[in-house]
Amino acid sequence: MMFSSSQFDGFVPSQSTQTADSASPNPSKSWGTQGLIPVTVKQLSEAHQSGDEKSNFSIDGVDVTNVTLVGMVSEKTERVTDVSFALDDGTGRVECRRWLNESSDTKEMEEIHDGLYVRLVGHLRSSQGKKQLVAFAVRPVTNFDEVTFHFIDCIHQHLQKCRVKGDANAHSQMEDFSTSTPMRNISNGSQISGQLSVDGLKGSDQKVLEFLQQNYAQEKGVHRDEIAQQLKIPVNKIMESIRTLEEEGLIYSTIDEYHYKSTTDA
Amino acid sequence: MDTSNPTVFVNAELLGRYVGRKVRAVIQVIRNDGAAVIGKSTDEKQITVKGLPPSQLTTFVEVIGIADGQNSIAADKWTNFGDNFDIFTYNKLCQLANGEYQHLFL
Repeated sequence: MMFSSSQFDGFVPSQSTQTADSASPNPSKSWGTQGLIPVTVKQLSEAHQSGDEKSNFSIDGVDVTNVTLVGMVSEKTERVTDVSFALDDGTGRVECRRWLNESSDTKEMEEIHDGLYVRLVGHLRSSQGKKQLVAFAVRPVTNFDEVTFHFIDCIHQHLQKCRVKGDANAHSQMEDFSTSTPMRNISNGSQISGQLSVDGLKGSDQKVLEFLQQNYAQEKGVHRDEIAQQLKIPVNKIMESIRTLEEEGLIYSTIDEYHYKSTTDA
Repeated sequence: MDTSNPTVFVNAELLGRYVGRKVRAVIQVIRNDGAAVIGKSTDEKQITVKGLPPSQLTTFVEVIGIADGQNSIAADKWTNFGDNFDIFTYNKLCQLANGEYQHLFL
């Protein structure tokens, strides 16, 4: 598919990268420095400038280099060395500039006119206090499912970054999201969630862990039947959670195989 | 950069919430009588779009304009979205963009 996000290297991280990132102290740092992030103009307007350099921004705590947007062109102005225009994606308008270095650049921009929906790839810069986009590629949209796709992609990427930051709320939204929409990229979310560290635990695992953490003071641990009874979760589900938590090293069995204790306090 | 006047993604159900504001919607054209287009919204309800449609309309059209009623839009921009468009996913996008992910859009 011409607009599949998996075309871009480093765009959607593989599962092993995901696990490694969430274990490191600064999981978001290694993220967006290569690859391409789909954004809305609204997100760009809220990007924080990091450092003194005029071209370092961060969105959702992640350094942003290249971004991609989909929107409508207006105010196209052709000059000798560049073409400038405004891009309106419904969330806002941003000024863009496309430098004409080669004849292919000029040819590309000849296809673009006001009122056209385009896919833009570029870099966010600050110039005279205003944020602008330096565009590397501008292409007319021909299949309009790309418009829908782009915005869903923005939501998806935003959620991925929220989860890496350890936001439990965003995680549960991600699970609902992945089951209700049919898009292939997004359904990866539910696969990844089962393999993450503490922040990525399923609901019942989280409940069992919290219960055991709260009962940390009990030397002999808690019998699994009592866990089931207190949490009102069937014993077989408790056993599944116990297996997962044990594998993660979060709980351990004590006096016998039915009693478990958390490795950490609440 | 200007985010002061965003265009809200709407279907028929959301349209009523944004009367008076700039909205965008994709409709399936049912009838075109020159001054207004009757269309089916992405959540399968009827919407009236007033304005001057372009001479050629494809099956699906995106209209951008001001919501001027529970079921109508006064449109100033019309974009042909072709004869094949995924209205199910677009409808989901409307719900998400106005629900928990509204902060990315408005």
